[in-house]
Amino acid sequence: MAVPTFSDTTALRPQPPRSLGAFLRSAEARHQLWGYVFLAPMFLLLVAFKFVPMVQAFYLSLTNYDLLSPPHFVGLTNYASLLRDSTFHQSVTVTAYFVFGVCVPLWFFSLGLALIFNSALPARHLLRMVYFLPAVMPVVVYATVWRFLFHPYGLLNDGLHLFGVAPINWLTDSRWTMPGFILSAWWRFVPYFMILYLAGLQNISHEYYEAAAIDGASGRQRFFAITLPLLRPTILLVMVVSLIFMSKVFTNVLIITGGGPDGATSVLSFFIYQNGLQFFKMGVACAASIFLLAGMVSFTLMQLGVFRDGRT
Amino acid sequence: MISGRGPYHTALYWTRFVLVAGFGLVLLIPIFWMLSVSLKPLVEVFQLPMQWIPHPPEWHNYPDAWNQFPFTRYFENSLIVSVVVTVLNVVLSGFAGYSLAKYRYFGQRALFIAILCTLMLPIEVLMVPTFLIVKDLGWLNSYQGLIVPVAADAFGVFLMRQFMLHLPDSLIEAARIDGAGELRTYFWIVVPLVWPAVFTLALFTWRETWDSFVWPYIIITNDSLRTVPLGLQQFQAQYVTTYNQLMAISTIAMVPLMLVFFFFQRTFIQGITLSGLKE
Repeated sequence: MAVPTFSDTTALRPQPPRSLGAFLRSAEARHQLWGYVFLAPMFLLLVAFKFVPMVQAFYLSLTNYDLLSPPHFVGLTNYASLLRDSTFHQSVTVTAYFVFGVCVPLWFFSLGLALIFNSALPARHLLRMVYFLPAVMPVVVYATVWRFLFHPYGLLNDGLHLFGVAPINWLTDSRWTMPGFILSAWWRFVPYFMILYLAGLQNISHEYYEAAAIDGASGRQRFFAITLPLLRPTILLVMVVSLIFMSKVFTNVLIITGGGPDGATSVLSFFIYQNGLQFFKMGVACAASIFLLAGMVSFTLMQLGVFRDGRT
Repeated sequence: MISGRGPYHTALYWTRFVLVAGFGLVLLIPIFWMLSVSLKPLVEVFQLPMQWIPHPPEWHNYPDAWNQFPFTRYFENSLIVSVVVTVLNVVLSGFAGYSLAKYRYFGQRALFIAILCTLMLPIEVLMVPTFLIVKDLGWLNSYQGLIVPVAADAFGVFLMRQFMLHLPDSLIEAARIDGAGELRTYFWIVVPLVWPAVFTLALFTWRETWDSFVWPYIIITNDSLRTVPLGLQQFQAQYVTTYNQLMAISTIAMVPLMLVFFFFQRTFIQGITLSGLKE
């Protein structure tokens, strides 16, 4: 998982240019020319569909573009109005509720499961396959099935009924929609992140454990002295990836509640979608995009720190 | 592994199994329920006590659901889009990764960092400007619109570069001394050596595209261009939901991914582990 550095490739010594023909046949020209030729197609695609949109998002966030009349520069008005907008406040709160509500317990659940999976276990391959099913389900099928589970007469309430709990209006009671969403995210993502942990656990050499066993270390000592420190890069990776995954949530919201009831599930990506592509308030939507991006970039910067840690 | 460890360890061994298998069963319940409902008549969908195995199974829910919307067309569209995106992305990612791994040129490091930065820009963030660009190109409701912006993804570049860095330069030099041109060296020497990575990337890209919802949802309103996820969304957004048919069509939509998962489990799991790197 370490990022290779440039030092492991051979540097070319600059050669004194002779004639143009000699230069074009030289290794230097080959590297300069073909390097660009191979890179160009993908790079141009990225310019057109990543860099230009990024710049445009910044630009539009400073305008009042509405698709009908040409954009007018309005300075930071959109940002100011977002800061005063109670629906935006709600959207930020709801997103944070979802992201941290899913992630924090998920880090522990999935690590616990991975530890169990990593030890001797009957039918391990079969079980692993079962655990994978929620994660490989198409996202729209996942959302559709959960919308159905949340139905007033759906399976979730049937289950609660078995324990004598009164039915919950998962889809219409604003106190319960988010807990329901969090539950559905656990179903899909706890096994998923367990797999990431499992990969990390399997990278830890058995020799450490054998040495610890010879020294008579207890299971708990082995966990805190070997597993946890060596798993640190994976733990940080899981943390960051899960935070970013959850900040992007969109499909479930659109399919299960459409942002309702009363904006109780209107996460940021949904706020952007509604303002930009339904109300055509491009400026406001782009300002919110920049806001969401800032959050995700801060998570990613954490991850870059993770990689640096992993190498030292 | 449990032999000779005493009763405590045997007990622990089976406790772990019960724990993991029990949780696995909980994970399966929604999927069982989906299959079960897909074979029930509509009046029995919410009936209590619940019947897990419908008797008799109403197999006709499947063709009924399939024919309610042009799902044949949706599957064709999904197939076209996902295959073309995969080919385009894998080929161009391979080129770009090769360029970054095995050539030296001016500005290379800056270009690489710029490419890495695009990984931080998911469609959820850029949907408005990307929509406007595609609209200006006249690509709303078109295959180009479904394909080209999606193929612009740097994850493969990053992946291919990492794999190609490990190839010995001497191999490439040897090919050159034998008089092979740049493209020939790439296709005949480099690609076969990184074939497992190419295959993983292809499978991964195909899965992501087959399953993608947000971008097609934004740019497609024309029914004849809808992909499977959009068709499914249409189906479940109807005013009157026929839950048994909805679950039937959901089951059908699940089949391609499940088949690929079963046949290429190792690669699939590798891809899932890699997707962690993507973010």
